[in-house]
Amino acid sequence: MRLSVFLLFGIFTTGGFAQDHLIPGPGSTLTENKCRICHELQHIQRSPLSRGEWADNLKNMKERGTPMTEAEMAVILDYLAVYYNRDKPAPAPSPDTLAGGGDPMQRLLEANGCTGCHAPDRKVVGPAFREIAAKYAGDASAAARLAQKIRQGGQGAWGNVPMPPNPGLSDPDLQSVVSWLLKK
Amino acid sequence: MEPSKITRRDFIGGVAGAGALATLGIKEAGAQAEPAGTIPADAIKAEKSKAMQWHSERPLTGSVPAHEHDFDVTPTDRMFVRNNLLIPDIDFKTHRVKITGLVGNELEFSMDELYKAFSAVTIQGMLECAGSGRSAYAPRASGTPWLETGGMGCPSWGGVRLADVLKAAGLKPGAAHVAGQGGDPGMVASAAPVIRSIPMRKAMDDDTLIAWAMNGQPLPRVHGYPLRLVVPGWVGSASTKWLHTITVLDAPFKGTYMSSSYVTPRVPVEPGQKMPAETVSTEGWPVKSMITSPAPNARLKAGTQATVRGRAWVGEGEVERVEVSLDEGKSWQRAQLWRSESGKYAWRRFTYDFTPARAGYTTLVARAWDSAGNVQPAIPAWNPLGYFWNGWHRVGVVVEA
Repeated sequence: MRLSVFLLFGIFTTGGFAQDHLIPGPGSTLTENKCRICHELQHIQRSPLSRGEWADNLKNMKERGTPMTEAEMAVILDYLAVYYNRDKPAPAPSPDTLAGGGDPMQRLLEANGCTGCHAPDRKVVGPAFREIAAKYAGDASAAARLAQKIRQGGQGAWGNVPMPPNPGLSDPDLQSVVSWLLKK
Repeated sequence: MEPSKITRRDFIGGVAGAGALATLGIKEAGAQAEPAGTIPADAIKAEKSKAMQWHSERPLTGSVPAHEHDFDVTPTDRMFVRNNLLIPDIDFKTHRVKITGLVGNELEFSMDELYKAFSAVTIQGMLECAGSGRSAYAPRASGTPWLETGGMGCPSWGGVRLADVLKAAGLKPGAAHVAGQGGDPGMVASAAPVIRSIPMRKAMDDDTLIAWAMNGQPLPRVHGYPLRLVVPGWVGSASTKWLHTITVLDAPFKGTYMSSSYVTPRVPVEPGQKMPAETVSTEGWPVKSMITSPAPNARLKAGTQATVRGRAWVGEGEVERVEVSLDEGKSWQRAQLWRSESGKYAWRRFTYDFTPARAGYTTLVARAWDSAGNVQPAIPAWNPLGYFWNGWHRVGVVVEA
């Protein structure tokens, strides 16, 4: 109970992050989750660019350290060049079809940027999902602590590399990720 | 207090103030979800003037509009804020700065040691974000939407000359560039450190400092506490905050903040086009001016003398004259340009007295010339990252009968 109150408080005090969204469309979820690791989405919303400028911009962000793969960059570029194009009005909002397909848990992890730093069996930037599961095995308070870690971000448990917070992850999705992780 | 009279007690005062802020930081960390060891945006905003207009919380960026800049020396709480990453919480007592690379002797100083080893100097100098004025460009370029007159300031800076420190380390043959690196962390560990380098001629300039003071007080956290570079007249990103390493190189530093940011096309491109392959690194600001009084939509009286007042500056060289037009640039009158005693990179006040003849809406336009014969254009060349806006500044006022 205390935890859920704390989480709600967290969501409502993150300076508008939670309600901050791009125009829904193919790739919008991935774009939101990658970009807001470091900055607010208004940086995108207030300056539509040409496709070439968006490509430069993505390359620049990758160089600056955004955890994203070439395939993810291609999805984000296609999305931005259509929905935030300086020369063409944006199409009407539509479901993010690219957020679907394949294993739903994999989808959820990718859409929220988890896979940028975590892999199933090996350390990438952060620990492997299996290592996390092993660390919390048999711990009764693990679910609550993990949920808070994922929601708020953290630092110190696995080294000095900070994990960014995930204010945009819905409560049901957060619970799914936690129970999936603990069953690894 | 005179900046040159900064004392060790001020340093201790700075440490105490920092402690209070750190406590606040911990309290707010839960809500803001900023990583440990960083200062939340709200704590910084609370220290700044109410006149600040904030463009973004993460990264934190903000400035005051032109009519809130009517000071010969920019007050600390009105100095613009622009970060690429987060604001670190650094301990003055353990902070060290290292000089490495193409030097005869690698050096490392604590804050106390740096203070004791070199003579302290104070200068007044402009810092201006490369993207200052970006929102005036059409079409809108990517990046912080600085107001036409946003993203600059001219406080005084206290510290030691970078040249003195480099000389103490001893430059090896081939030393050509000096890179500063600061301790600001990103949201993810993969974040590239913000490293920029400046050519040796600028590093050896008497006004290029390793600074610990701003307007006679320890640097505020958001402005680089406890130590930063000050490279006056040049784009702000050259003035590395939270400085911990100075590296002497044989060529410009190779990194994303040198090659993909803070560059302009070598040859101007058609507005809306992407960055061409051939680029140049941004260095000194072109000549620029702004009207700081009257404020937009101020009420003047027909037949009563009024004064246009503003500030003019240029990255290298000197402001040669400032002109004011009351007819949208059809004719220009020379303004009185005041001398600055406090530094060759300080902005200069200009004033122009006039008596509005007729009632109605009137525009005041200013433009400055530099000693190399450059003049502010009505509209500068568009560039993909929206840098170096130095178009004429125009303020509309209402003349009442």
